Amino acid sequence: MQATLKVYRHDPDAGGKPTFQPYPLELPEDATVLDGLVKIREELDGTLAFRASCNRGFCGECTLRINRGGRLACMTRVASARTKEGEVTVEPIRNVRVLKDLVYDVDQLLWQKIKAVEPWLQPTVSQPEREHVLSDEQLRPVRNAMRCYYCGLCDEGCSVIPFDNTFLGPAALTKAYRFVSDPRDGARAHRLRAIGEPRGMWDCVHCFEADEHCPRGIDPTHRIMDLRDAAVGMGIKSGTRNPQVARHYDSFAASVKTSGWLDEGRLALETWGVRRIFDLLPVAWRALRRGKLPTPYRHPKRPGAERISRIFEKVERRSP
Amino acid sequence: MPAEGSTRWFPPAADSQAETGDQVNSCVAVSWAITLACRLALSMQAGKQWRHGGLSLPAAGGSIPAAQTPQGKRETKREPMPKHSVLVVGAGIAGMRAALAASERGSDVALISKVHPLRTHGGTSQGGINAALHAEDRADLHAMDTVKGGDYLGDQDVVELLTGAAPRAVIALDHWGVPFNRDAHGRLDARRLCGATRPRACFVDDMTGHATLQVLYEQVLKAGIRAYEEWVVTRLLLDDGACVGVVAIELASGAVEAFAANAVVLATGGCARVYEPTGAAYGVAGDGVALAYRAGAPLMDMEMVQFHPLGIRGSGMILTEALLGLGGHLVNGGGERFTLKYAPTLGERAPRDIVARAAEEEIVSGRAEFVALDLRHLKGDEVKRQLPLTSHIVKTQAGVDPAKETVPVRPVAHRTMGGIHVSRDGATGVTGLYATGGCAATGVHGANALGGNWLLEALVFGERAGLAAAQQGPGSARAVDAQLEDERRRIAEIVDRSTGPERAGAIRSELGRLMRRHVGPLRDASGLQEAANEIHDLGARHRRAGITNKGRRYNYELIAFLELESLLTVGGVIAAAAGFREESRGAHLRQDRPARDDARWLVHTLSSFRPDGPAMTSKPVVITGWKPEGRRY
Repeated sequence: MQATLKVYRHDPDAGGKPTFQPYPLELPEDATVLDGLVKIREELDGTLAFRASCNRGFCGECTLRINRGGRLACMTRVASARTKEGEVTVEPIRNVRVLKDLVYDVDQLLWQKIKAVEPWLQPTVSQPEREHVLSDEQLRPVRNAMRCYYCGLCDEGCSVIPFDNTFLGPAALTKAYRFVSDPRDGARAHRLRAIGEPRGMWDCVHCFEADEHCPRGIDPTHRIMDLRDAAVGMGIKSGTRNPQVARHYDSFAASVKTSGWLDEGRLALETWGVRRIFDLLPVAWRALRRGKLPTPYRHPKRPGAERISRIFEKVERRSP
Repeated sequence: MPAEGSTRWFPPAADSQAETGDQVNSCVAVSWAITLACRLALSMQAGKQWRHGGLSLPAAGGSIPAAQTPQGKRETKREPMPKHSVLVVGAGIAGMRAALAASERGSDVALISKVHPLRTHGGTSQGGINAALHAEDRADLHAMDTVKGGDYLGDQDVVELLTGAAPRAVIALDHWGVPFNRDAHGRLDARRLCGATRPRACFVDDMTGHATLQVLYEQVLKAGIRAYEEWVVTRLLLDDGACVGVVAIELASGAVEAFAANAVVLATGGCARVYEPTGAAYGVAGDGVALAYRAGAPLMDMEMVQFHPLGIRGSGMILTEALLGLGGHLVNGGGERFTLKYAPTLGERAPRDIVARAAEEEIVSGRAEFVALDLRHLKGDEVKRQLPLTSHIVKTQAGVDPAKETVPVRPVAHRTMGGIHVSRDGATGVTGLYATGGCAATGVHGANALGGNWLLEALVFGERAGLAAAQQGPGSARAVDAQLEDERRRIAEIVDRSTGPERAGAIRSELGRLMRRHVGPLRDASGLQEAANEIHDLGARHRRAGITNKGRRYNYELIAFLELESLLTVGGVIAAAAGFREESRGAHLRQDRPARDDARWLVHTLSSFRPDGPAMTSKPVVITGWKPEGRRY
């Protein structure tokens, strides 16, 4: 089988712009993109850098963007990936720092964020001589989350990370979910408070890109929503470690509850307080000049605001 | 102007999306847009204050965007020579288990690994972990199955140690967080793997290794154990015959540095990459085995290489044996279930060596390329429920629908029973040097390992090696600088060498095919001799070859070149040991000596380094209760 792998090349040491280098290859019919890359490095061009480990779709190490889609190179057959012209484009996934060619900074994308969610079991009771007696049903969500092989494709697809790469992201939040859903873990409230901080679960905009991207069918966005449900169910407010954040969320909710709209003026006042609000004067002045400064507390109600109010009341009754 | 008032922060695209969608969609879109808009607004207005309030990432708050320097994270601050009490080489399941044990003893321990711990090979292990936890099972039954499965070459005292420690090892994992499947009573469920007389393998769907690896890594993080990721160990530091550290090359920078340690634990995995095709990860290149061997530690039972019957696809990929445990059939070109000829009772559920040998003989005698795995008579949803990943892999990688067609499979190199000869505490023949996991040979597997015993061995003996290494007193490190300089010179010479037409990749590929042809599941004296000669020639070609990549950053060609040296060393030892053992036992089938010969060969083979090739000796097998008898399944 003939195929041309067009491979992203970039060496930050040498400087210059990234290029796509074409490598024409003769490959067996069942060859994968990873087989092709190995052949390039062994026979055509020893300078090509890419990562690979298990070669059977278990470890996530060879996650790349193949023909503009995030895939594992070891699980993608060249025969099915190549275009009519016999070409396969191979490049690093998006939103990452490229270290060389197809090698990118996974530490920044993923590992640091996973370390931030205290990713270890904090058991409640310990009877070291026997296993926890649990129904299999209770552990199913844990196993589902643990199917994650840390390919990072959910974070790649995330809508928030391009704006703020300090957002924990779906992969790390799925890792947090793995513990929150585990009946053996005794730190649920602590975990939910921690990921309820800014950059945590409430920063997710539920665009569902993570679910689209996850090759394991874990549906990270739904897991984030499960985390939020758990927090609301336990009466854990977001931003408990920072009064300013808590005030921001409270004000946001109060505004929508009363008028059905977001009252930005009120939000700014209640979040920052009367003294700190002066820091915002330059912004306010620019907004005023463009006719965009809303007057606080004088928001008309949107049609159906009463129904929105009732939703709030219902939720408030449910949570302790 | 209420409407505009509330939407004026919105980007236009989101706004129009909200208007055109149906009610649910527009709700989602509006809240999406609100959240995004507020985030943007707030970060523009007062980014600083807000950043202080949020989650802090371990690398000190806010340093993630700041890390975008050309040098990268690893090259910032590094002490001149890192020193640790225990240095574990390899961060797989055995390595991390050893590190955790040493850390519990209060030892200052670090891991050093070619790949990130979560990318190591143990994660591909699917079937389970054997432990006699059920009422109708006992440790001695587990031991008996292990001894018989290993064709009586296992050291029975060590086997009893392993099977006795198994329940505790599995329960410790449950307490650390491995979500083992439960039975109807809420206790650990077990599945029956090949060669076992009871259901004994505790499992997590079909990702037992993957789950175990994750949980061990979680515990490593909890214990604060330092991990040097993407460092390739190229040399052991020796002082007066004792191991006092390692020299390693950092992939990110190409820096060659020394690491001092009181004890070095090798947990680098086996060496199945010496074969092509193989189901082993790219890193399973026998580096640890070759390092210890050259440092003077003898290797044991190197001729015992396990071939897995369910290899698919050209480059090698293995389907889990649990498919046979569930009742999958292997059939030859004539549609015959040939395994029944070799194991009339258990058929496909016989131990791997028997099933792999049967498949290989069918392939050779039928002049076929594959035998067929038939899953059509199984309930499709049963495979899907018990083995969700596998059913997906069969479809996408074998390219067939197992509900309608048979899957072509053939034996591929899987794991190596042999390795560095170690005591039950992981001690090698070199002071200060320990070994555990795939690179070590404790003697439990004998001539053939049972599924479910690999992970168990890594856990039980990993822990023991870690505990023993933690007690190693400090050695002297007088000649470290000279050895470091020597290694730097050696590597610089390889990089600077002018390259002729010879490429390391071609040599590796030739070696792999040669090993499969002559040192594979079927062997004979002349083939083994030919293999030994050819490996010798390949070694000479390797010494003449060079690399084209002269760069420092992520120079994988250099790493492959260094790995090939290990592979050639290990390949030579395997061929020599296979030639030495003049009988057939377990995974070692000599067609010119087809019978097992207990009178002469109830012994382990030991290979010791000599410049002109391995010196072969032998060592008796420890028998406690199970006298060797015929192996009927």
